[in-house]
Amino acid sequence: MNDLRMNNLALKDLRILDLTQVAVGPYTTFLLGFMGAEVIKVESTSRMDISRGQARPTPQGYRVYPDNDPGERPWNRAGHHIHRNPNKLSLTLDLSTERGKELLKKLATLCDVLIENFRASVMDRLGLGYEVLSQINPQLIYLKISSQGATGPEKDYGSLGSTLEQTAGLASVTGYEDRKPLMTNETYPDPVGGIFNVGVLLGTLRRRHKTGQGAFIDFSQREMTASMLGQEFLDFSFNARVAGPMGNRHPIFEPQGVYPCQGDDMWVAISVRSEEEWVGLCDAIGMPQLARNPRFETALARRRNRDELERFLTNWTREQDHYDVMHTLQKNGVPAGAVLKGGEIINDPHLEERGFWDEVHHPEAGFYKQVTTPWEFSKSGRIQTTPAPNLGEHNEYVLSDLLGMTSQELYDLEEKGVIGTFPIGAE
Amino acid sequence: MTEQDGVLSDITVLDLSEGVSGPLCAKLLAGMGAEVIKVERPHVGDESRNAGPFPNDDPHPEASAAYLFLNMGKKGITLDIEADTGSSILRRLARDVDILIESHAPGVMESRALGYSDLEPNNPGLVYTSITPFGQTGPYRDYKGGDLIIQAVGALMHPIGLPNKEPIKVGGSAALHSVGMSAFSGTMMALYVRDVEGYGQHVDVSAMQTVTVTQIHASIHHQFGRIPTRRESTLVEAADGWVNPGLEIGVQEDTWKKVCDLIGLPELADDQAFNTREARRTNQQDLLAIIGNWVASQPKEQIYHTLQGLRTIAGYVATVKDLRNSEQLQYREFFKTIDHPVAGKAVYPGVPFSIDNNPMTQSRAPLLGEHNLEIYRDRLGYSGEELGRLRSTGIV
Repeated sequence: MNDLRMNNLALKDLRILDLTQVAVGPYTTFLLGFMGAEVIKVESTSRMDISRGQARPTPQGYRVYPDNDPGERPWNRAGHHIHRNPNKLSLTLDLSTERGKELLKKLATLCDVLIENFRASVMDRLGLGYEVLSQINPQLIYLKISSQGATGPEKDYGSLGSTLEQTAGLASVTGYEDRKPLMTNETYPDPVGGIFNVGVLLGTLRRRHKTGQGAFIDFSQREMTASMLGQEFLDFSFNARVAGPMGNRHPIFEPQGVYPCQGDDMWVAISVRSEEEWVGLCDAIGMPQLARNPRFETALARRRNRDELERFLTNWTREQDHYDVMHTLQKNGVPAGAVLKGGEIINDPHLEERGFWDEVHHPEAGFYKQVTTPWEFSKSGRIQTTPAPNLGEHNEYVLSDLLGMTSQELYDLEEKGVIGTFPIGAE
Repeated sequence: MTEQDGVLSDITVLDLSEGVSGPLCAKLLAGMGAEVIKVERPHVGDESRNAGPFPNDDPHPEASAAYLFLNMGKKGITLDIEADTGSSILRRLARDVDILIESHAPGVMESRALGYSDLEPNNPGLVYTSITPFGQTGPYRDYKGGDLIIQAVGALMHPIGLPNKEPIKVGGSAALHSVGMSAFSGTMMALYVRDVEGYGQHVDVSAMQTVTVTQIHASIHHQFGRIPTRRESTLVEAADGWVNPGLEIGVQEDTWKKVCDLIGLPELADDQAFNTREARRTNQQDLLAIIGNWVASQPKEQIYHTLQGLRTIAGYVATVKDLRNSEQLQYREFFKTIDHPVAGKAVYPGVPFSIDNNPMTQSRAPLLGEHNLEIYRDRLGYSGEELGRLRSTGIV
């Protein structure tokens, strides 16, 4: 990235009070951090973000640590935490104490945005809901991310990205044909919700820039996920049809699927959307005569003779590297993509040339490559990844530099357990 | 802007995109109050007009569900931007808009002198968002995409499915939707910068990059030495579908005893194989077998409510039909019945957020060229005669 863009950060004057945990909220805030916002992540020594894992994980503990070694301070090394919480400062504040609440309110006057994704009633119960905080800071933008929205009979139901896939309908269309539904294993509604929220938030920030108005945003992850099934809902409305899983198939495109390649568990995805692409595929696999064969001439005909066609395709893909298949087909105008593994995507030459991955030296977790942003801007830059903070790493910056507290006051807070850098249970 | 207005009610958008991602991005802008003018190819229109599904499975370019959903709340005009007259009309339109959304292959807009650098001199505040499978630069920039392809190259799908079978994509067109949402966020970012700093810019949205951001486990797990693998789904069969009892993660320790009482096996409360979260996770298959008998006898949604009542994180696999009947979604008035001159009344899913408790606006998608008169005659000042000429030459 050129220097001009590096000095030109879109959100450089924004400060975010980040009470989010697990995944969806942390995704929103790491993206805001990339664009230059100062993000203050609030946890406590009694309630860390569960992405940090347990203070002392049991042998069956399932968090992911570098080299599978939890190290001395596992909460600063857990893979989920490292991946989702870069570009943030860490403050510990026990919000169940009066002192903790008081300090949070003070901080809220210094922040532009507060984001949280607790169960819907938690902040109100703590006396820290929008009603209270907007009295203190009328310009505050309060982004409430919840699984079900801030209202309704299920508003306090618990969820994870994986269960939202189910309750929002996405699982009902995911899976092999005629088999039980699958989960994505990537808790899909979390990262997607995280990305989406950035835009919603910026809408209210631009209004605030013009009018000085604060805002309360009520964002429902379940509704966001369900909204991805727009045409399926309309199909139900029009035709009473209930969509089910269709594997990797498409209602119209033929062939479309995932085919085996050379190597262990290697695959390529191919999708033919038009007659032109069909001809390109036949040429690429060395069977140009197939394009003139009436048994394969139209998508419908290819569907009828799918088994035979897939044998041709598989015979051709099986002996080749999945990247080679992708390049050959794409050069013939056919949509194709190697089914990349986590270990391949970090070395993909295209993403590398676009400067997508940041190489990070995390002080406690070591070297790794970090996911960055889904977009690039011609004039606004992004920061290089700042490693995910250790628990309470920035207590002094936030409490002394921003709130003007003395070191004696900080010491007292630590004595009372309001702040700290060691989680309860770590001793 | 007043309090009642949408947050984008002062904003005009030109939507030149087709398919799913670009139109969804523009639709979200419309939902926030922007005036969105969708520009379609004369006679043909957006490719999603042919995608269906259609009412009674009877194909009609004005009744394709994909188009109707992705283009809600927009105005529609037709314009042949491949013709010189058409592209110069578009340049004129682009002078007075705030945002332009396009999804052509990289280089196509530039070849018609409609690229960002062509339009910027006459509209320095323009936010110009390009949405492509691989982005505007890099070795794959000219490659084609689609929902399946981007799920593959974005490392999203390799861990989904069964170990002995091929990887499976997330269903529907979920990845293309996520790209539309990411384009929406990128566009809003640039618009915010414009409001604060005064200048517009080019936003390069890459579908591959978006999907790579959404793989939340694969890349970090791999790097930390725990290679993700495909595995059997942990769903359990209920009387009428599938549930996830949700007893492994995020459950209060005293919940387990209540669950044991509920399923009529109180002796399991102290069984070391199940009495901690970690133990339940380690012995998940045994646990699912034990709980399976109880689950099999009950309807899925009832299990969901019962177990959530005990503070578990239970889920049930809702179908589109179940969601239409969901009390939660009904309470939130998530679904809207909207009429359309060709497709008729239908129930559409709504917008997943509200600002200051005001839901976003929702209205039907435009007919092909429905707003030609309003935009060409009333906005650009073409006479009836000039418009007739544009019509007869196929430009409009």
